[in-house]
Amino acid sequence: MSLIDLLRTALRNVSANKLRAALTMLGVVIGVASVIAMLALGNGARAAVDATFQSLGANQIQIGQRFAMEDGDLQPSGKTLTFSEGLDMLSAVPLVERVEMSVSKTVKARFGQNTVEINTIGTTADAIEGLASSGDIQPVGWTGDHAFSKEDLLGDGRFFTTDEVYAGAPVCVLGYQTALDLFSGDDPIGQTIWVDRTRCEVIGVITELESTDVQERYRSDPNEGLLMPISTVIQTLYEEEPSVYMTVHVADANRIDEAKEEITKYLRERHAIEQDAEGNYQDDFDTLTRNDILGQQQEAARTFSLLLAAMATVSLVVGGIGIMNVMLVSVTERTREIGVRLAVGAKQRDIVSQFLLESIFISTSGGLAGIVLGILAIPLAAALNQGVALLYPGSIPLAFGVAVLIGIVFGLYPAIRAARLDPIEALRYE
Amino acid sequence: MREPVIRTEKLTRTYNMGTSVITALWEADLTVQAGEFIALMGASGSGKSTLLNLLGLLDRATAGEYFLEGKPVSSLRRDELADLRGRRIGFIFQNFNLLPRLSAWENVALPLAYRKGEFGVQDQFNRAREALSRVQLDQRAEHNPMELSGGERQRVAIARALITLPAVILADEPTGNLDSKTGIEIMRLLKELNAEGRTIIMVTHDMNVARNASRVYHMLDGLLNESEWSNVAD
Repeated sequence: MSLIDLLRTALRNVSANKLRAALTMLGVVIGVASVIAMLALGNGARAAVDATFQSLGANQIQIGQRFAMEDGDLQPSGKTLTFSEGLDMLSAVPLVERVEMSVSKTVKARFGQNTVEINTIGTTADAIEGLASSGDIQPVGWTGDHAFSKEDLLGDGRFFTTDEVYAGAPVCVLGYQTALDLFSGDDPIGQTIWVDRTRCEVIGVITELESTDVQERYRSDPNEGLLMPISTVIQTLYEEEPSVYMTVHVADANRIDEAKEEITKYLRERHAIEQDAEGNYQDDFDTLTRNDILGQQQEAARTFSLLLAAMATVSLVVGGIGIMNVMLVSVTERTREIGVRLAVGAKQRDIVSQFLLESIFISTSGGLAGIVLGILAIPLAAALNQGVALLYPGSIPLAFGVAVLIGIVFGLYPAIRAARLDPIEALRYE
Repeated sequence: MREPVIRTEKLTRTYNMGTSVITALWEADLTVQAGEFIALMGASGSGKSTLLNLLGLLDRATAGEYFLEGKPVSSLRRDELADLRGRRIGFIFQNFNLLPRLSAWENVALPLAYRKGEFGVQDQFNRAREALSRVQLDQRAEHNPMELSGGERQRVAIARALITLPAVILADEPTGNLDSKTGIEIMRLLKELNAEGRTIIMVTHDMNVARNASRVYHMLDGLLNESEWSNVAD
């Protein structure tokens, strides 16, 4: 029989039992949808890792005070990570090239009648470089084919210097929107504003920025806020010494793990952390490198993917067995038909093709429905996995192929059984 | 002398049932010339269905040889038998054996559909219409078997047996499921086809039906004998 004849026959037989075919498809639908969702999660995790790679350089280690659950709340544990510890790290750990530090605090800034509540970031002078290279933000309309520099970020005036950071100078650089809010369009450079109860001279304004992170998940408006030397913030805005956040630059990216170990040793010494009875250290700080993030992301994605892979496998096998079962029933129901076909000249491969095509038709229909369902389920999968899932385009042909394969694998046995029927027995079957 | 359509030499079919061997057909010698109308009579279990299945290439003989149009068939493979069956043999069954999901013409064209690449769909349709008009059913070509009466169904089945212009038409109790009036009509049709030159072998246990044949064979316990009724016929 020609393929068209066979397809027509398959279509006719499947549509004669629509409900049965639909129920049979269900396993394949769920299985294929799981495959799509699973690959979307893997793809999303990869995209997230890529984004993290852009913001955290291969030669950087981030260090912050450890937070631990205490009385049902996340509390900073142990000793604070201090500004002077950061400064001393340069000499204590030779592999370290530079230490950027920052603290942030919500403050009231006032000029004349205008008051705004904003975030103050106290930084080291070179932290501006870090901001420029973070990849999270860019000047509005930035189309440069080169990475923008510290200077490109500056709209007006100047940034504070390393000397000013050491001296704790009362100077500040305003965000674009904050400058507008406080000065209503007048020139802010050289003016003095109040930051909580500290007087502070405006020495620069940052150009208008936009977030490069399309989803803008973590970031508030990058144009609101002000920058001050970190020492000034610590001395004048805090009563007790705050914990700083460090970004350590290592001279040689290949030796980053070694640097991390030495920094850990150095900080344990400063914080007087001893080995406990089991030989473990109860650190009160956390270090994070690109490899750590990669590991965490992959771990999370792998766990979830594994779950989905198991679900997909079980659904596909169950779906396949369902198809096999229905096809076996169909072969039995149509024994006489098979006998007639054999009597009028059907070869074994004609009968095999007929039943195989029917099971492929069922599994493929289920596969198509599963692809649609899987794409619709991606937002759901994203919600269950911290918002990271992205349709992997290759998953659609893959899922389709899997569906066809299921139809072949589980349809083959019933089809061969049909073709091996004895024509006399088949014709006599009641 | 013309090659007979069918010639069997000591055709034997036995079944192994555990330790015992059951002989369904014993050394049957049968020669059928083109244009003959043969009736096979006998009680159920006498071996007439076994013989018909062997002649229809649906079964293989245990011993002896069967020459269809001069060619021995015992060495043919399963698919070669299927092909020969589709081309050279037409079947008419007691229970019609039409496929319920196919229209009348599609049922008739089924033997052509299994000849890969020989007949296009339009060709199949035209030939099926032609065969249906031979049994006066061309107006019902698009109907499903369920929409047809018993006599009409059997005529569709006859058209299916005719469409390939087979060497022989094998009819197994063709009037068994029909009322007597319709049965007579079907027998008249078969006689007409025979008069047009078609070779027919028919199994029946109805003597009145057998009378339509030119020769009658009688079977008893697997033995084939030409009956004295043969002389009565015509």
